[in-house]
Amino acid sequence: MTGPEILVQRLPNDIGGQGGPAIARTEHPLAAWEKRCHALADVLDFHKIINTEEKRHGVAALGTGINAALSYYERWILAFANILFQKGILTPAELAEKMQAVEARGAR
Amino acid sequence: MTSEVEHAAHDHASAIPHAHTHEDAAETPGYFEIMEISVRELLIERQLITEAEIHRQIDVLDSRTPALGAKIIARAWVDADFRGRLRADGRKTCEELGITFYDNTRLIVLENTEKVHNLVVCTLCSCYPRPILGLPPEWYKLKPYRARAVSEPRKVLAEFGTIIPDDVEVRVTDSTSILRFLVLPRRPPGTDHYTEEQLAGLVTRDAMIGVATIAAPISEQNP
Repeated sequence: MTGPEILVQRLPNDIGGQGGPAIARTEHPLAAWEKRCHALADVLDFHKIINTEEKRHGVAALGTGINAALSYYERWILAFANILFQKGILTPAELAEKMQAVEARGAR
Repeated sequence: MTSEVEHAAHDHASAIPHAHTHEDAAETPGYFEIMEISVRELLIERQLITEAEIHRQIDVLDSRTPALGAKIIARAWVDADFRGRLRADGRKTCEELGITFYDNTRLIVLENTEKVHNLVVCTLCSCYPRPILGLPPEWYKLKPYRARAVSEPRKVLAEFGTIIPDDVEVRVTDSTSILRFLVLPRRPPGTDHYTEEQLAGLVTRDAMIGVATIAAPISEQNP
């Protein structure tokens, strides 16, 4: 099966049993922002704003291309933003404006 | 996805300068870090979450390591009643030891025996018993392990240096967002005189995921 049907028969993360290359036993200490992103996920779950299943689905919904190109926590934060838009908690314009402000102030 | 793509993504991520400590503020944050900062600050401004909650959760994450899991396994080896309770209700029994669960997950303990070796995976993402083992290793979250563990577990185990005899069943369990699994490895031979604390020192993270077994201590080998 090599046609586009592969894209609809399995969601991007439904990969169990597909086979693949040898396992590289990588260990990767989290960057500070990645750990903050993980803590954010837990806090969003505590407040029932985004639960684990919504997060998992939100990552799958990013689609095959984004899932392949982004790293683990890059996918998470992008999924959180989309879910917050869908729930009407944030708007894309607010986030864009805030990101410009954060970038302009430079340092964390 | 090929491993090249996965690696390319990680090379890309590591090419973005990012600090490994909170102190290092001189580097410019990358696009997704800016997004993380922005989402967090907007939610704090809306009073939906607090900065203190984020800091507290970072401390909780830092406090969870495989040493907690090792303590549970060692207790299960020395106390049959505890082992029975652990198998009946993993979460409640861990809470007996003062280990709090900060998420809404159930914990199921899978006991290795002479006949069965257990292996845990999350094919869809990265579900893992974080309250007792900390955050999962990178390879657990990457596609090769997730894609292969369910279909060719013995080959996967061999890549970890773990050879399970053919007459032992290899049982693979796939995690979900609410169901998490911990492997109870077999107690190694030659440890009858060990204290609970010494036993805990033998238990590794990989053995609790099921990609490794626990060897007899060096001093007990080749007697």
